Amino acid sequence: MILEKDVVIIGAGPAGLAAAVELAKNGVKDIVVIEREPFAGGILNQCIHDGFGVIKFNEVLTGPEYAQRYIDEAEKLGVEIMTSSMAIDINRDKEVTVIGSKGIIVFKAKAVILAMGCRERTRGAIGIPGTRPAGIFTAGVAQNFVNVKNIMIGKRIVILGSGDIGLIMARRLTLEGAEVIAVVEKMPYSNGLARNVTQCLEDYGIPLLLSHTVVNIEGRERLKSVTVAKVDDKGEPIRGTSKKFDCDTLILSVGLIPENELTKDAGIDMDEVTQGALVDENLQTSIEGVFACGNVLHVHDLVDHVSNEAEKAAKSVLRYLETKCENGQRVKVKAGKGIRYVIPHTISGKKDVTFSMRVDRQWTDIKLTFLNGSNPIKSFKYKKLNPSEMVVVNLKASELKDVESLEVAIDED
Amino acid sequence: MKNCFDVIIVGAGAVGCAVARELSKYKLDIAVLEKESDVAAGTSGRNSAVVHAGFNNKTGSLMAKLCVEGNLGFEQVCRELDVPYKKTGKLVVAFDEEDLKGIEKLMDTGKKNGVPGLTFINAEEVKSLEPHVGGIGAMLSPNTAITNPFIYTVALAENACQNGVKFYFNTEVFGISKQKDKFRISAGGKQYYCKYLVNSAGLYSDKISSMAGDKNYKIYPCRGQYYILDKRTSKFLSMPVYPVPKPGIGGLGVHLTPTIEGNILIGPSAEYIKTKCDYSVTRDVMNQLFKGAKELLPPIGAKDVIGNYSGIRSKLVGPNIGGFGDFVIKESEVVEGLIQLIGIESPGLTASVPISKRVRDILGSKMDLVEKPGFISQRKGILEFRKLSNEEKDRLIRECPEYGEIVCRCEHITKREIMDAVENPLGVKTLAGIKYRARAMMGRCQGGYCLTRIVEILTEEYGIPVEEITLRGKNSKLFEGRVK
Amino acid sequence: MKIEKEMTCIVCPNGCRLEIIYEDTLTVKNALCPKGVEYARNELMNPVRYLTSTVRVSGGVLPLVSVRSNKPVPKDKLIEIVQFLKNIELKAPVHFHQLVCKDVLGTGADIVATRKVIKK
Repeated sequence: MILEKDVVIIGAGPAGLAAAVELAKNGVKDIVVIEREPFAGGILNQCIHDGFGVIKFNEVLTGPEYAQRYIDEAEKLGVEIMTSSMAIDINRDKEVTVIGSKGIIVFKAKAVILAMGCRERTRGAIGIPGTRPAGIFTAGVAQNFVNVKNIMIGKRIVILGSGDIGLIMARRLTLEGAEVIAVVEKMPYSNGLARNVTQCLEDYGIPLLLSHTVVNIEGRERLKSVTVAKVDDKGEPIRGTSKKFDCDTLILSVGLIPENELTKDAGIDMDEVTQGALVDENLQTSIEGVFACGNVLHVHDLVDHVSNEAEKAAKSVLRYLETKCENGQRVKVKAGKGIRYVIPHTISGKKDVTFSMRVDRQWTDIKLTFLNGSNPIKSFKYKKLNPSEMVVVNLKASELKDVESLEVAIDED
Repeated sequence: MKNCFDVIIVGAGAVGCAVARELSKYKLDIAVLEKESDVAAGTSGRNSAVVHAGFNNKTGSLMAKLCVEGNLGFEQVCRELDVPYKKTGKLVVAFDEEDLKGIEKLMDTGKKNGVPGLTFINAEEVKSLEPHVGGIGAMLSPNTAITNPFIYTVALAENACQNGVKFYFNTEVFGISKQKDKFRISAGGKQYYCKYLVNSAGLYSDKISSMAGDKNYKIYPCRGQYYILDKRTSKFLSMPVYPVPKPGIGGLGVHLTPTIEGNILIGPSAEYIKTKCDYSVTRDVMNQLFKGAKELLPPIGAKDVIGNYSGIRSKLVGPNIGGFGDFVIKESEVVEGLIQLIGIESPGLTASVPISKRVRDILGSKMDLVEKPGFISQRKGILEFRKLSNEEKDRLIRECPEYGEIVCRCEHITKREIMDAVENPLGVKTLAGIKYRARAMMGRCQGGYCLTRIVEILTEEYGIPVEEITLRGKNSKLFEGRVK
Repeated sequence: MKIEKEMTCIVCPNGCRLEIIYEDTLTVKNALCPKGVEYARNELMNPVRYLTSTVRVSGGVLPLVSVRSNKPVPKDKLIEIVQFLKNIELKAPVHFHQLVCKDVLGTGADIVATRKVIKK
């Protein structure tokens, strides 16, 4: 079956929902949101903890409550969400092939918004030596089992990775009766929010082993123990520092990877660093009419930013549907000293732009400076910046006027 | 008498299952006793999946003979049993003068062994076949192929089962005695009886032999570690590429092998180990393997790695002895009726059907083998939805909506395929069993998306209690129980 | 008695690192907003936390419904409350913000559903 649509949005998680709602609010009704789960809400459905919506709604909401806001609005606005359906292909002509229980549908879209979110980095990808017993789970999978499927994954748990997901799961598992023996973190600082170290580890007396990593996994059928060692400043295990921890479960919270298989198959240009698409200031990818937002573009730390970014993408789609041509994006944006990546990758210099970026390590008492060539345009002062914190700043069109080449860099003076 | 069979086969690897299938063509009561929860749980499920041509085996040996025979007949068997098979050919690449001499030797051995079509090709021709691999020349073996060793073993077993063979899993043999002309086997808490005992217990074939009274064998476990690379690397390699084996090194150098699903395997390494069940992967070997692989195929990188595994070879020669150990395929000289299949390392997979025919011959020399009318020679596997065209997919979904629900998003495996895997004829209900039959959980996210959905299918559609869900059976439980 | 300590405020993702001095009166430094001062006071006298957890549902499309406390509860009662919630089974349909348990374990806080669960 072939159907024509104005906009096809892939993913009804927070990004897809926010984009759909923004489009519908502005009168675009011919939308379909493709969602592979039986429900909308995406990853928020399993994030039963709070901390969502502080920036967006000035409230402290749990994941499902945040999602419900958008689901309710989408329903009110009559947005079509096709659940239990998976997009398996997008091509350069913006034809999106979707599989569902009714068969295969090819949507011929005027515009497409990619909002597929992320997958988790696996044990296999980071190559932890040892055996392959049962009892090793990535944090998101463990979270789904415990919070959604009502399945308890183990009794004595070691968590590798102190990002927010790992910290949240440390608390969750402890509350539900498991013993979390330690959280092991390769870096010399935790990758998660400081508040999470307090309310997830300190509250329960769970040790945080910084500058340590898991160097071996033991157990034939079910996990028996893991060997943990200290690491040097290059992340290499230091001989003689190994310690064995008896446990039956290893939770891996070792990173998220934007889920861009559809994007790559479509031949869209990718950013090696973000593992997401290259985008211009309108969040448009290298295929005209295809936009990206949320975790599929780059890994976010706060869902509030995801919603904002998705609204931006939706606004761009609105303009795109009307005018069908965008300004040339001739100015490349460079990630300079101390900056791991910055989005968008190109700008026109004619519009206000929201820049999102991450630093490459911990920095204290620094300035974040935008430069046109070697001339500073604008600076932002920060007491402290962490790689785990996404930095979002806005520059006005007037500030970007006449820019030839743009660079963002850390200024230590 | 209960549990009484004409033939009992110990070990449900590729060889044991091939023997089961072969013998099921005759009027025999046959049982297979397997200590793990599924077929191909040992070496048969942990190898490079290559159907070797036979140029790397000692001339005149059983290994050489049966490898060549097996290679030539493999495609036909795969057709009958609905097993994936691809004749990719193979390159053995030379990087220096010494290597070129090595190639000469291989071609000579290959010729003597009866391997057809071995050709020397120059650097340019290598580049035209495999643009990313360097080298100053190579030997092309056109008959080398790749397959799926799990599906192959599963298919042999299912076909044997179709034809009356009984499979007993989680049934480890603890004792064997002989009373007159009958074997009595204590296994899995029961007694089994048979006239003929086929020992295809792989790594433990020396133990089974000893239990039965023939203490002449010792198996030395030699582990091989592997990397699995993401399917996006398949564009860099279309056929197995091996460097020329350098004399003195126990293994064969770092190999690169495409899998039939489009991944690339790096390995195996070769290290003798102490215990037969140590399937660990180790940091040093992993680093060595990756380094070597990157030299052979520069475009691959750390981001392409999706996993590691290891397999253990059943070697008849130990680390300090060196030298060559051929297949042992014969009736025991000490215990009548005990048919020994010992030291079946590479090319065991390739030679599995010829080995089974040898077993049939041995049996045939001792008894009248009467062909069974109505032997079912064809076996159909799980329909691979992902390989169909969009039109075929659409039609199939309308007939059966369960094909419209994708469970494994990396490999595009549907709910119906998962259910077919759960409903497999051998009655295996482990997650690994589903994984190897349906391909789910084998993609780049390694079950990150589909594991929770597969577990939901097991609990909701099949009523399996969460406490009983295992990775590979027995104590490899996944869960504690319910949260609430 | 003088108490001097540092603590991370958990009220919002900013996670201000508070410096607290308590000697007759309470002084709180580094709080970006007044909620931080209140948090510090509570942490010294009566540490409280919001609780989020799950409750079993029968007959619904999901086996669990996510829940939260509408007020923070004493920190040392968290595990006890979660244990207590194990005794509750709701029958689908469960409504968004449905009251699951009033004044749980006498803490004055109610437990409410944070999502809906429709009948199977």
